[in-house]
Amino acid sequence: MLYHFLTGPMLLLSMTVFFGGMIYRLVSYFRGLDWRLERVAYTARLAQGMKGGFHSICKWLIPFGTRGWRTQPFFTVCFLLLHTGAVLTPAFLAGHNVILQDTLGFTRPSMPQPLADVLVLGTIAGATFILLRRLALPEVRILTTVSDYGILALATLPFVTGFATRLHTELYDFWLLCHIISGELLLILAPFTRLSHMVLYFASRWQLGADYAIKRGGRARGPCFPW
Amino acid sequence: MPEGRFCNKTPVTTEKALKALLGDNGGKQYYEEMTGLEVDAAELWENIQKTCKSRTRTWLEICARCALCAESCFMYQVSDRNPEQVPAFKIQSTLGEMIRRRGKVNNAFMRRAMEYAWGRCTCCNRCGQFCPHGIDVGVMFSYLRGLLYSQGFVPWELKIGAGMHRIYKAQMDVSSEEWVETCEWMCEEQQDEWPGLEIPVDKENADTMYTLNAREPKHYPEDVAQAAIIFHLAGENWTVPSRGWEQTSMSMFAGDWEGAKGNVLEVYAAIERLKPKRVIGTECGHAHRATVVEGPYWAGRPDGQPPAPYIHYVEWLAETLRCGRIKIDPAKKIREKVTIQDACNYVRNNGLAVFTREIMSYIVEDGYFTEMEQNREYSYCCGGGGGLNGIGLFRKQRNLALKCKRDQILATGATLVISPCHNCWDALRALEEEYHIGIRHSFLKPLIISMAIVPEHLR
Repeated sequence: MLYHFLTGPMLLLSMTVFFGGMIYRLVSYFRGLDWRLERVAYTARLAQGMKGGFHSICKWLIPFGTRGWRTQPFFTVCFLLLHTGAVLTPAFLAGHNVILQDTLGFTRPSMPQPLADVLVLGTIAGATFILLRRLALPEVRILTTVSDYGILALATLPFVTGFATRLHTELYDFWLLCHIISGELLLILAPFTRLSHMVLYFASRWQLGADYAIKRGGRARGPCFPW
Repeated sequence: MPEGRFCNKTPVTTEKALKALLGDNGGKQYYEEMTGLEVDAAELWENIQKTCKSRTRTWLEICARCALCAESCFMYQVSDRNPEQVPAFKIQSTLGEMIRRRGKVNNAFMRRAMEYAWGRCTCCNRCGQFCPHGIDVGVMFSYLRGLLYSQGFVPWELKIGAGMHRIYKAQMDVSSEEWVETCEWMCEEQQDEWPGLEIPVDKENADTMYTLNAREPKHYPEDVAQAAIIFHLAGENWTVPSRGWEQTSMSMFAGDWEGAKGNVLEVYAAIERLKPKRVIGTECGHAHRATVVEGPYWAGRPDGQPPAPYIHYVEWLAETLRCGRIKIDPAKKIREKVTIQDACNYVRNNGLAVFTREIMSYIVEDGYFTEMEQNREYSYCCGGGGGLNGIGLFRKQRNLALKCKRDQILATGATLVISPCHNCWDALRALEEEYHIGIRHSFLKPLIISMAIVPEHLR
């Protein structure tokens, strides 16, 4: 009963909140820009801004593709481990197809299970190292609040519980419920927390690239900043 | 005390008020009054609501607090990696906290924020280049400066500087008449050596209008003469305006946005009056940023452009040397280890690194030019940027900040540092006074004059 509720109406609600919320955040971001206050001619130099903005997004998505990534190799590896699994596994896990078929009536391509296992373990390892880094380094500790641990827990729990489910232990049903609940909690809370960076990353990454292209040197150096 | 005689929320707009404030030696009474200055929390919150839009709010919200910005900040590096110098911490504990508390902050909070905004961040914008989210803390500190200024929490010297602009339309008390007289005086003085030298004032439709830093006529009038000599050598059809000649903006450093707008409108009015083909600004980083990069927005120009093409001196000089309008005597090229200190405000914030390198290739003998380890768009602040040079209260912070540039220069082995920026030039002078590392520093103009081939017809 609970399982059917969670994978039926609750899943639909979670996905609606997630996608609706994220779209709202993204639209609000761009609608909330003010060329005069921010001093960037967004409209008048849109083409230039788009070029610099997309270059900024793409360059920062390439592992070790920017000077910023290269200067912090340990964090970069942790980041990549965490994010690669976190993005790819939920989207392409074969097991999720079952629920998708039942609830929404369609399936999508899926990845081989061993690959999913490796990616999830990478996510958990990445999150663990990021947690340890947060505890160990004074420059990170000073910035850390309870919410930072909360966000890390919220983001990692679905993967830990998902992997526990995958192990098919005698607690399978328990882990499955925990996985679904933590996953839906993540979907529902993401638009209202720092996890909104799932979409706002693209906005703020675009922003600085566009800023550098439109006014901070775009004319002299070419639209793209040498990230 | 709600507001003091000197320390208050009102900008300085009269000569009388300015002179009184200047009379408060070192800002002693000013800072005493600041300890009792009341924060108008309602007004502050209203101001934030009106001006803090989605970009700043998102930056503050999605900051992952990962401290990847730490190492990018030279202030952090020179402070023995003090965690309180991490850019994200600096902005979150000031602007971030101010917004979380909906403006309900007290006097002590504002004074601490003032120390962070001017004494711990020079708004060099380097951290933004290392943040995976692209969060630019320097931009946010600049915004915070405006909020602090509006509540009267601004360093004494910058309150004076912003006042000077409002009263004299220049960062120093140089009137239009005094400026024109300086031009005439410099012209006369150079006639023996440079017959026919002119400083044409208010000539319409010239190819070039030249704007500069008020320090030049006020303290270093030979700079004005040097600019004229170089235009003379290049055969430039140029002019200076009698009004709107001052390009700098202490108002920008102070966060006095209304004043900053007033400054650029004065310069833009001169452009519209004299209709030059283009404008060239002097060797100054922040003046370029204020008038060319940010200014169009303060003036409300939707295309983000000044009324005429407006370039920094280094761009013009690179072009002039490239075209051979000024020829360098090969025998006089620089033959000592030399490096360049680019201003953040024109190199990071306007992409002009290519031009300074090009100039070096013309004036330095092969093998003598050395880059600092972090250079071009990734260069470090001189240590005195964003107004920090001139703030007595934060002298200790400034001297600490200079260490980064000191070590960078020492690592190059250079004995000469070229800096086409007044602020960097000042910082280099302070660096030498403070740390005695045996370097000389120079603007480009005197170097060019010393090594240019003077055409027969100008001798």
